[in-house]
Amino acid sequence: MRTVNSILSVLVATAVLLAASPSLAHFGTITPSDDIVTQNDPKTLNLQIKFIHPMELHYMEMVKPEQFGVVHDDKKTDLLNSLQATKGKSADQKEKFTFWTTDYKIRRPGDYTFYVEPTPYWEPAEDLFIVHYTKVCVNALGLEKGWDHPVGLETEIVPMTRPYGLWTGNLFTGQVLLKGKPVPFAEVEIEYLNESPGNISLVIPPADPYVTQVVKADANGVFSYAMPRAGWWGFAALNEADWKLKHDGKEKGVEIGAVYWVHTQDMK
Amino acid sequence: MKTLSHLFILVVVTLLLSGTALAHKVNVFAYVEAGKVYTESYFPDGSPVEGGKVLVYDSQNNLLLEGVTDKKGLFNFAVPKVDDLTIVIEATMGHKNSFKLKKAELEAGR
Repeated sequence: MRTVNSILSVLVATAVLLAASPSLAHFGTITPSDDIVTQNDPKTLNLQIKFIHPMELHYMEMVKPEQFGVVHDDKKTDLLNSLQATKGKSADQKEKFTFWTTDYKIRRPGDYTFYVEPTPYWEPAEDLFIVHYTKVCVNALGLEKGWDHPVGLETEIVPMTRPYGLWTGNLFTGQVLLKGKPVPFAEVEIEYLNESPGNISLVIPPADPYVTQVVKADANGVFSYAMPRAGWWGFAALNEADWKLKHDGKEKGVEIGAVYWVHTQDMK
Repeated sequence: MKTLSHLFILVVVTLLLSGTALAHKVNVFAYVEAGKVYTESYFPDGSPVEGGKVLVYDSQNNLLLEGVTDKKGLFNFAVPKVDDLTIVIEATMGHKNSFKLKKAELEAGR
């Protein structure tokens, strides 16, 4: 089965590369081992933090993030020093790339919003830096409280749909904030995480526009998207920062992304 | 008629089996600190279960003690026995749930 998947993933990547080339969407990811922790589940979560092309399964090198933590009961806990570097790649990538992982023990009921602010990533193909402020929410022990609170990042998506316990086909609605204010008509890119645990077969997009879905927010920065498959879905609202960073002595623009991940499950 | 009774059985079975959220589902959470067991009973939105009955059973299903939650949904008691405990919350209207507090946690929290 592994081999079939590997072959498939090479096919996916080749097909996508042939069809696409320049506009591959980058996504910061945080994937927890569980998104709803019940009494009988293990209380220790494993979290993986990556910078990837979710549909094409391609990894990019990720240096240690600038911030990583969790908000529970409106209190922030810094978890940056718990991160361990590890390496991974898709079946068709030759070399392995760094990503980050940690274990976190759930001790109390309630919602846990994990957030990461990566170190700016230089993307020569786009002549800019990329910073994806990424979040994911894990619910614990039946207390559904906290998921709709902003973390207070430079830019972020605040869910308006409770971000766990979602069925395949559900609509996910969120609001895009930049410095705490809604972003009218923000553009939101959406991708399926092809390496989602339990994904029965790799998705092979028939043409480039299928890889990244695009929706625009309304005047209040509110967007919606219905998720057609079980697994992890990433939402990335992209804006240009009003600050610059230097690359080889020259000032370059910075793309700041507000990214949110949710998990869906088939009804059966 | 048969279909109806089947439906009824299905509903009953579903209610018995479902550990997941019904609209007024109650929850109880417990932890041990300095020889005391602290319980918190709440609805999914975080509002406390006030005046709920708490029943504490040992691993042999013997009732060790019982109590009533306060305005904040809290009820505390001294560790009654170092054993796997089942803590049951009974709210009004038959809303009920339980929490298993493992022996190891009681030992660690002494």
